[in-house]
Amino acid sequence: MGAASDVQNRPGAKMASSSKGKVERRRLWMMMLIRRFEERTYQEYTKRGFEDPSGEVVKRIGGFCHLYSGQEAVAVGIAAVFEPKRDYLVNGYRDHGHALALGMSPNAAMAELFGRVTGCSRGKGGSMHFFQAEVGNMGGHGIVGGQIPLGVGMAFAAWYRKTGGVSFTLFGDGALNQGTFNESMNLASLWKLPCLFICENNGLAMGTQVHRSSAETDLARRGAGYAMPCRNVDGNDLNEVIAAVQEAAGRARAGEGPSFLVMNTYRFRGHSMSDPQKYRTREDLERARQRDPILLYERYLREQGLLEDGAVDQMDNEISQIVNEAVKFSEQSPHPDLRELYEHVLSEVYPLEK
Amino acid sequence: MPVIQFKEALRAAMIEEMERDENVFLLGEEVGEYNGAYKVSEGMLARFGPRRVLDTPISEAAFTGLGIGAAMCGLRPIVELMSWSFSLVCFDQLVNNAANIRYMSGGQFKIPIVFRGGNGIAHQLGATHSHRVDALFSRVPGLTVVAPSCPYDAKGLLKSAIRSDDPVIFLESEVMLNDRGEVPDEPYTLPIGRAYVRREGSDVTFICWSKMVKLCMAAAEKLQSEDGISAEVIDLRTLRPLDEDTLVSSIRKTNRCVVVDEDWPYCGMGAGIVERLYRRVFDDLDAPIGRVCCEDVPVPYNHYLEQAMQPSVPKVIAAAREVCYV
Repeated sequence: MGAASDVQNRPGAKMASSSKGKVERRRLWMMMLIRRFEERTYQEYTKRGFEDPSGEVVKRIGGFCHLYSGQEAVAVGIAAVFEPKRDYLVNGYRDHGHALALGMSPNAAMAELFGRVTGCSRGKGGSMHFFQAEVGNMGGHGIVGGQIPLGVGMAFAAWYRKTGGVSFTLFGDGALNQGTFNESMNLASLWKLPCLFICENNGLAMGTQVHRSSAETDLARRGAGYAMPCRNVDGNDLNEVIAAVQEAAGRARAGEGPSFLVMNTYRFRGHSMSDPQKYRTREDLERARQRDPILLYERYLREQGLLEDGAVDQMDNEISQIVNEAVKFSEQSPHPDLRELYEHVLSEVYPLEK
Repeated sequence: MPVIQFKEALRAAMIEEMERDENVFLLGEEVGEYNGAYKVSEGMLARFGPRRVLDTPISEAAFTGLGIGAAMCGLRPIVELMSWSFSLVCFDQLVNNAANIRYMSGGQFKIPIVFRGGNGIAHQLGATHSHRVDALFSRVPGLTVVAPSCPYDAKGLLKSAIRSDDPVIFLESEVMLNDRGEVPDEPYTLPIGRAYVRREGSDVTFICWSKMVKLCMAAAEKLQSEDGISAEVIDLRTLRPLDEDTLVSSIRKTNRCVVVDEDWPYCGMGAGIVERLYRRVFDDLDAPIGRVCCEDVPVPYNHYLEQAMQPSVPKVIAAAREVCYV
């Protein structure tokens, strides 16, 4: 698909450093980190929990947990364009990968899954609610489509303050069928807000395939009624993702309004941890793994001469240590003090006189 | 002191706060070119321009959520809901997003936003347009709920609500917007979270807010003249957080209490307040706490049925006599 030349030809794609390939190798590294983090999360989730003094077994990772394996190119591609000082990203609940790609420490991410006070949301959010305000990660959100209007509001804030910032508003293919999608796409386009609506189409709304939930199966066409550019993107091809996001972000920054990008990808794990995955065959999954975004990008780097032999193994070892350390850090971190129960409910103290 | 309408008091509060703080803006259905469905925002588009007074499509989830997202970024939106009945289609935004984001992010965000509009039963609008959302939002940790009863309170409380760093549900009433009252020209604010003793009395405490305050004041006058019963009328002003102390100290004085509200009886706002009070005043009471609220039916269209459904001065008087064993 000529992805490489496509990216290089785009103005502002900043491929200058590709002579050394440092930036590109870092992107591969990040995709590998996300994969390893998620696969380790799977293991930790399924391990026997901690026995507390009363004898109750408390899970190491509780609640709903949605893994991102297979979709890494989307998060890393967005992060390649994201400007932490002025951009915002808001997300659905499959949010671990984006948090890591935007720079969250694996320790803070894993500790949140373990519910510890050292977690990115002090153990009060969990898997679906990873936040990192200082970089503009405005959170994972648990209700399908509920975050889309928030993303429009972040774009509004950038517009209101004329910062040139962009709101990366992410959601899955299932969210296209929520009313918030319609309302938000229309409003953002009407007001020409710098909002990138990015649908991560992994083909499955929980266990319901796109053809069983969307009358129009070409999901980019679902954006046709909102007077904004809409396109399908190969969400497994990191270069394609970066190019598409770069172009749309450029339009938004230039005041030309929102775009709708459908990142067609696939998730290798179930919807959440309890998913028996009866909606797909082993062959489906094997076919998808042929287009694993990490393998594709690794192949691309080799073809470009940017990856030396042994480099991947070295990265793998380094990442493995980082993830091991994150688990150890999480195990050793304290639970939130019970006093935290009533903290962070409100910002003000009442009665409030201002 | 100048006498102005309730809606003018609301408008004055918004104008003063928008002039005071560039981050404050107003959005909602028909707030701009139409000058407000109920003329609350009349003239504000001309004054502040389309960047700060924004007409939205009929998309409650999108524009309430937009406000919340903007508030997460530090802006201070005022979101007008044409009717609080329409908040049912954006309940997820208000409850899951406005109320939860601070908590579930471990305190990383403030959500300084006001949602305001007409609440409750107006004139023959039927069941879908007559909802009382008091209890729906007052039960949600993370929200603050304010319900003024007169122009003076409307202005002072709305200014405080706009200055609050928390999401505020601000309940007005369509049928009160033309009420007139004294409002000083000088800027002032009123505390959120404090009730106000609107009429002092010694025999029974009426707890009420918003539109029910006028009704309770009228009932108190009649009780005084007809039965010699002295009613204390407490205007809650804020439903959440509830100023329990003011209520408790009044009941300890009168030993009798009637909660008057427009909500439904079961799990309604009054029910929640009574639950809070019983724990603290059980031993002080000479009679069970009385309640006057709406009948347990959808709101009917027919004028007489609609009247019969709601609290009234005779119903409040009857409840007061009952707790006074008259």
